[in-house]
Amino acid sequence: MADPIIEIRDVYKVFVPRGGRERRAFVALRGVALTIDAGRFVSFVGPSGCGKSTLLNMIAGLVHPTDGQVRYRGTPVDGINTDVGYITQDDNLLPWRTLQENVELALEFRGVPAPERRQRAAQYIARVGLAGFEHHYPHELSGGMRKRAALIRTLIYEPSVVLMDEPFGPLDAQTRVIMQDELLRLWEGSGKTIVFVTHDLVEAIALSDEIVLFSRAPGTIKRVYRVPLPRPREVFHIHADPRFPAFYDQLWNDLREEIAEVGLEATPS
Amino acid sequence: MSVVQTEARPAAMRAEALRQRVEREEISRQHREQRRTAIGRVLFAIALLSAWELASGRLLDEFFTSRPSAIAAAFWGMLTREQLLYHLQFTVTEALAGYILGAAAGLACGFLLARLEFVYRIVEPFVVAFYGIPRIALAPLFILWFGIGIASKIAVAAVMVFFIVFINTIAGIRATPPQFLQIARVMGASEWDLMRKVVFPAATPFIIAALQITVPQAMIGAIVGEFISANRGVGHLINRAAGFLDTPGLFAGIVALLMIVLLMNHAITALGNHLMRWNPRHGTTRELS
Repeated sequence: MADPIIEIRDVYKVFVPRGGRERRAFVALRGVALTIDAGRFVSFVGPSGCGKSTLLNMIAGLVHPTDGQVRYRGTPVDGINTDVGYITQDDNLLPWRTLQENVELALEFRGVPAPERRQRAAQYIARVGLAGFEHHYPHELSGGMRKRAALIRTLIYEPSVVLMDEPFGPLDAQTRVIMQDELLRLWEGSGKTIVFVTHDLVEAIALSDEIVLFSRAPGTIKRVYRVPLPRPREVFHIHADPRFPAFYDQLWNDLREEIAEVGLEATPS
Repeated sequence: MSVVQTEARPAAMRAEALRQRVEREEISRQHREQRRTAIGRVLFAIALLSAWELASGRLLDEFFTSRPSAIAAAFWGMLTREQLLYHLQFTVTEALAGYILGAAAGLACGFLLARLEFVYRIVEPFVVAFYGIPRIALAPLFILWFGIGIASKIAVAAVMVFFIVFINTIAGIRATPPQFLQIARVMGASEWDLMRKVVFPAATPFIIAALQITVPQAMIGAIVGEFISANRGVGHLINRAAGFLDTPGLFAGIVALLMIVLLMNHAITALGNHLMRWNPRHGTTRELS
């Protein structure tokens, strides 16, 4: 039944800071082991600098472990993994391309002929309500529109795994919830695997099947939770679910230990 | 608290009427501003020329400063009797050929070196050192190498352009946001795709800036080459006028150069605006000279 698509096997990562005077190498990940099954929505939460993003970069093949192994569909990731899609905190739309040209970018790289590119782009653009803005440049779009564009320009090449690094971080509170809802609509039934990094526990609970809690640096996995909420979910009313408060408190308590140990007097809001 | 419900239709109509009025006012305000700027510029030019005209012979020694009316007459004379266009064609050819050659070589070397990180680290201080040479000092050398014909002037103009384009191209390429490259790689971009669709467009603001700055530089190269040794070209005309102590003729030559450089600048600015239409900060580029 379980069909592992990503296997992280006892991974260590040591970084040497670049640029500054500091030359002392530091350990970013320490013995991380995790298996992610195909089709699941998995969130990584943990204190800043705990190596969550590094792990995403490893799955994408942009960074390689100092020791241990990351396997994708059973084979070690040793180059760029073009079977995944990557959505970052900044939308990273190319400012010299219009919305449509941005959405078509990956298909251009993959050699899809122009008529098909145009047709598929039009479909996705319509799906997230951006029809009419095809020929606008990114700076002419709002934050939410840019985020939608970043989302569909990744989904358009149908990657099996979508890596998302705090994708909704810079958005305002309302837009964020709307985007979470749209993401769930796009994902549900697609069979895609999503690995989602966030600082927002409510977001993690609202979206995920599983939540992986990381300890403070050097990052290790502290605990893996199964979110006890049924699907389909209503992100707008997630607080109303009777199981929500207890689960949130448990998650927050475990996370707070990691933050408090660094010496910050953190209190839940 | 009570919500006052105004009648929806009249409010909407009134809002639309107001919207249109504000829009009209804004457009006419912009037009007025543009008109006033244009008029101001013309008045400024007239004031400057009149002041020159009046001061010349009174406050200034006309022998050294000439006067606009005399310069205009000299310009006309050059155009009709001294075959200004004939000379201009050499100067423009030299400047243009040098510009294109220098810019193309600068772009090519920039892209090549920016890709070869290790080579770049080795040669960087040497590039900076060469850049530090007052390039105009190379003109006599180039005349020695390429003769007193048009080739040596093209070479001087090219070297004036090359380094600026070269260094800016490298700076532009290195300024490409690394996230753009990572995202594109994960999307399946080949190295050629990255160059063409990510790195080159990211570097265009730097490249355009270099192409604009170097227009007058190419002209300087051509003119200095002609000063040193030539029997044709506008530089030669200016030099000859100076030899005859013909100040109006000298100024007339400078006016001819000014007009050519403005024209070239205009062309390159139009090209830049077209290439940079995606950039919100670009908009209206001021012409550099």
